[in-house]
Order: sequence, then C-alpha cells, then structure tokens
Amino acid sequence: MLSSARKCLGSLRFSTNSARSLTAIAAAFAFALQASPAVAAGDVVIGVSTTLSGPISQLGQTGLHGIQSAVDAINSHGGLLGKTIRVVTADDGMSPATGTTNVRQMILSDHAVAIFGPVSSAVGAAEETLAGQYRTPYFLFTSNDVKMTTSSFTPYAFQVVPNTVMEPRAVARYLADQVGSKPITIATITPNYSFGRDSVDSFLQALKTYGVTFKVVAQEYPKLGETDYTPYIPALVSAHADYTFVGEYGGDLITLTKQAVGFGLFKQSTVIGQYGRLALKTLPNEVPGGTIGFDRAPFWAMTGLGMDAFINDYHTKYGEWPSAWAIMGYTAVQTWAEGVTRAKEFAGDKVVAALSGATVETIRGPITLRSCDHQGDVAEYVGTIAATADPRYGHQIYDTTKAVPADQVMLTCAEAQALQPKH
Amino acid sequence: MNAQTAIIEILSAMTTASSLFIIAAGLTLVFGALRIINLAHGSFYMIGALLMATLLGTSHHALFWPALLLAPIAVAALGTLCEVVLLRRIYHRDHLVQLLATYALFLIFSDLSLRLWGTDSRTVAAPAMLTGNILLRGASFPIYDLFVIVVAAGVGIALWLLLQWTMLGWQIRAAVEDPESLAAIGTNVPLLFTLVFTLGAFLSGLGGAVVAPLQAVGPGMDQSVIVSAFIVTVIGGLGSIVGAALGAVVIGLFQAMGILWLPTWAPAFIFLAMILVLVIRPAGLLGTVGSAYFGQND
Repeated sequence: MLSSARKCLGSLRFSTNSARSLTAIAAAFAFALQASPAVAAGDVVIGVSTTLSGPISQLGQTGLHGIQSAVDAINSHGGLLGKTIRVVTADDGMSPATGTTNVRQMILSDHAVAIFGPVSSAVGAAEETLAGQYRTPYFLFTSNDVKMTTSSFTPYAFQVVPNTVMEPRAVARYLADQVGSKPITIATITPNYSFGRDSVDSFLQALKTYGVTFKVVAQEYPKLGETDYTPYIPALVSAHADYTFVGEYGGDLITLTKQAVGFGLFKQSTVIGQYGRLALKTLPNEVPGGTIGFDRAPFWAMTGLGMDAFINDYHTKYGEWPSAWAIMGYTAVQTWAEGVTRAKEFAGDKVVAALSGATVETIRGPITLRSCDHQGDVAEYVGTIAATADPRYGHQIYDTTKAVPADQVMLTCAEAQALQPKH
Repeated sequence: MNAQTAIIEILSAMTTASSLFIIAAGLTLVFGALRIINLAHGSFYMIGALLMATLLGTSHHALFWPALLLAPIAVAALGTLCEVVLLRRIYHRDHLVQLLATYALFLIFSDLSLRLWGTDSRTVAAPAMLTGNILLRGASFPIYDLFVIVVAAGVGIALWLLLQWTMLGWQIRAAVEDPESLAAIGTNVPLLFTLVFTLGAFLSGLGGAVVAPLQAVGPGMDQSVIVSAFIVTVIGGLGSIVGAALGAVVIGLFQAMGILWLPTWAPAFIFLAMILVLVIRPAGLLGTVGSAYFGQND
C-alpha cells in the first residue's frame, strides 16, 4: 500500500516547468478576474450573486429574470436618479466561498451599489457578512434563514422573503385550523442543513404554540441535492403519519414527489410541501389533489399594485408565468430603488437609513421593513392543491389560497433583537 | 421493524444499488481498461437523462422504448468523440493531467448543457406498463423501481458475458495486461480502447436515461451522481465490475440501515461504509493493490 501511495504521490509531483506553467496560468486567471468593464458615467451597477448552475439553478435563474424585469421597467422610465441600472451577475455554485468571491468582485471591481442575494441560506449568511463589511445594501429575496435577520444580522441586509420562522409557522397555522383539537401524527423530511433543520423545528414549535396535539413519528434529513429518495420514502410510509411535512424544494422536491407517489406516500399521508409555480409546472398533474402546498409568492393569488402588468410582461418576455422567486426578485429591486429615491443618492449608508422602518409600495403590496431586524412583513401563502390542472396556466394551482399575514407569524422585535449580536 | 417494512426497505436499497451500479459499471470499466479516472462520467449520465427528456418531450412520451436506446447511443457517440479527440492523446501522461482533462470535459459539458437545455428541471413519464405499483404484503412498491433493478441485472450479466466469453472481452483483458504484445499480433489497440470508452459512456448514458422517470432531470445531475459512483467503485475495487455491483449493494444497504436506525446521520453512512471497507481492504472489496482491473479481479 505504501509503495503504491508513493507511486501515486510521485506521479502528482510537479516538474519545474509544470510549476512555471501553472503559475503563468494562475496569473492569467487572476488578471482576467481583475479585468472588468469600467462603470459608464450614466450607469449604476447592481450585483446579483446567485445559483445559476446545479440542481437549484431554476430558482436562481427565475429570480434573476425577476430582477432584470424590474431593472428594465425602471430603465424604461428614465432610470434611477437619472442613471441607467446595469446588472452584473455571477454563479455562486451553491458555495459560500464562491458567493463571497463574487460579492467582493462586484463591490470592488464592478462598483456595485447594492447586492441581491442567493438561493442558499448558507451562501447568504457568508455574503451578508461581507456586504456589511463593505457597507453595501444586501437584499435577500430567496434564501430565507431567520439567522440572517437575527444571529448574523447586519444593518445592511434586508429580507423581503418570509423567513424560516414565518413560513413554517404559516403552514402550522393553516394546519391547526384544519385539524382543530384532533390528535395527529407527523413525519418530516427536510434537507440536512440550516434551512431544513430550522424549518422543521419552527414548524413543530408552531404546532405546539397553536395548540395542536401531535406526535412526531419519523424525521428524515437527506442531503441537499439528493437524487435518490428511495431509501427514505419507505421509512416515511411505514411511519403511517397523518401528515408529512416536506421541506425539500426545487429539483429535490420534484424528485421526491415522483419517487414518493409510487410508494403510496401521498395516499397514506397528507403531504405538505413547497409546491410553487416551478414545481407544479414541472410536475403537470402529478401532484395528488388534496396535497397541502405553500408558496412565498404564488402569482395566481397576488394582487399588489402593478402585479397584473408584471405578470403579463413577464409572460411575454420569458414565455412563462413568473415563479415566486421572480416576483420576490422584482420586489427586492423595487425595495432598493425606493431606498435610493428616498435617500436621493446611491451611497449604502444613506439607502440603508432610508429603508430601515420604511414602507415600500411593491407589486406584492406594501412591505414594511422593520427597523429592528430589516425583515419585510410579507405574507406566506398556503392552500390545498387542486386535483386537475388549471387550463389558463397548464398546471395545477391551489383550490383556495390563504394568505397568512406576517404579523401573525413573525418573531416580535424583542424576540429578534434578543437573538441579534450584541455590540 | 416488521416484515412488510423490511421487504420494502431491502427492495428500496436494491433500487438505489441498481441505479448506482449501471453508472459505476461504466466508470470502473474505463478505469480497468484505460487506467483513466473519468470525471466526465457524470456528464454522460446527465446528458443521457436530458436527451431522454428531450426525445420524450417532443414525442409526448409515446416513444419511451426507442428513446431509452437512442439516448445512450447518442451519449456513446459523444464518448467516442471525446476519446478520439482528447483522451487517446493522454493515456501515457500523468494521472494529474488525465484528471485535469476529464475535469475540463466535465466543466465544458456542464456549461454546454446549461446553454442547450437551460436551468429548468424536466420530468419524464414512464410508459403505462411501468407506472403504478405492486402490493407486497400490503405495502406499495413502484413497478418502475423493479424495472431499474431488472435493467441493472441485465447490464451486469451482459458485461460478464462480454468480458468472459467474447473475443472482444478477451482482447480487452489482454490489452490491459500487455497492449504492446497485443498490438504485435495485429490487434488494433487504439480502436479497442475507443470501444471500451464508448461502452463506458453508453452505460453512463443508459443510467441517466433509465433513472430519468424517477428524478427531476436538469443541471446538477452530473455533480450529484459522480461522487456516489466513485464511492461505489472505490468500495468495490477500482476496475472490478463485480466489485462495482457489490459496492452498490453495500451502499444501498448501509444507507437504508442508516435511515432506519439513525436518520439524522443517514447521509454519513455511505462514507462510513467506504471507510470501513478501505480499512479492512485498502484496495476495495474485489480490488488487489497493483493489479486492480476487471481481468484480474473478476
């Protein structure tokens, strides 16, 4: 074994020439990374560092579409403070290290005046800290870990998405209304990282708060990006839970759904999952009717100012209906633009001061960004999925969509501040 | 755990093992014959699944069976191209160069797939005869999962027959032992290596096409599968087809046990399996140090 290891190490040893070549290549890469277009006099740059490759890239890509739509709308009306907004983008590959590199590059080289955050909360937490260090406003519109407004909060971050406390509490509230005082059993399956664990903890805690009598009979934690749920599903089926809370999303939720249907999970248990526009479109008529869905911004239930125009424009431009990620991306840009308008300049400190505690009119309706944690008071939407596709959209939507207002499910300011870092 | 749960868990583990085996068989075949660790193997798997989704998307899922053959054949053709244009030039180079070359292919295919197919996830419908489920002591088990197990068994038997009982198989094994002597008696060794790499790509494409109806088909499939496929081949012994089958079963069973007994730690169980096997048998279950290829080990 030792000899083969030595042989292997020997084959990996660089020659002097190889080392020189690699140094030259590394230098060329470094030069290429540094070289970036200068900001034109009439331009202002915003950066979007999100996941554009891999299993959750669909979320990042449609979020980017939402941002670009908002920027196009602003530019078509003369820009912001007389400047044309230009969007620079980079793929974080779901890696916090890559995300922070992107953000640093955007701020230092592209002179981005605001950063719009990623899909993964792990990436978001790392980027948020960095954006705070550079005093650059940072908008979270897809990743939603509550820690980003509590334990890792920086005053430069704003979250316009229901966080990992609000979302599961909203679902728990909906479920509490449905089951009343009847005792129920619960199984959970969520991805094995902070978002998944926080979501399931908050969901179970909220059920207790809302007086639901329940027993947890199974809990599974597959890795993010799992492609084979086959070993997990029998454990859920054999638990015979009345309700199965699914914290998977994106391609993972689609894969889990396809595999779980064959095992009869949906027949045996009422599944509760994040079935938004993308999942329902990708699984046309494959989600059994009666499944409980939740979504952060379902386009079919949104009625904010300008929402109809946005939906139609988006459909014309991209040939599809907007996902929640697109709607929240659009909202995030509206929020930043309102801050700039109020501050009358692009400087990070001024924009942050203008937005803290402000109420912003968006296509999702008015959103107030609490001064205590910069969490937007955005609603979460829950409903029961229809048995058949809606002919207008070509996929299932919810039979009835209930908006759970933020004030019913948010942490109080005192609770949030108690979790924030003490300075 | 009751008998019903045990049966379903074992069958589920076999489904996992089967899909992993189809992919790992190609990976280990290529390593055994060509001594190349092909990082682009996951790309072939993803492209196989994407082609399946594309072919069925345009034919409204009516042509499942032809697509199941056409998608891997197209991937095999892509594999041939890679071997002829790039890999045959680096067989005698350092492993590092080979790794970098196949990693470059991985990145190129990843980017090309994003440009060609976009970021959307797609789904593939199984044919009517493979949809639904069967009841085993009252528990449901998907018919399509049984189909995956049957395909994997078919692949295993076909590979065994090929390598043990055909002239091509003998030539491949001889080429691994002593390519110079084989060339001296008139065998076209470069063509032989091209055929092996093409077969490896075909198997990976087949793996992607077969599992497409069970998954969200889209970008990222390449990354997620390659790690598991490598674990299977390392456990089985690099270069060993039978080892790959055993490795896949070990992974499937360890994962199932982890989920049943320690669900919080379940994802770690496959790594635990790998560590245990490597501690006991450093060259893998059916590998031997210094001669880890299928001709010797199987």
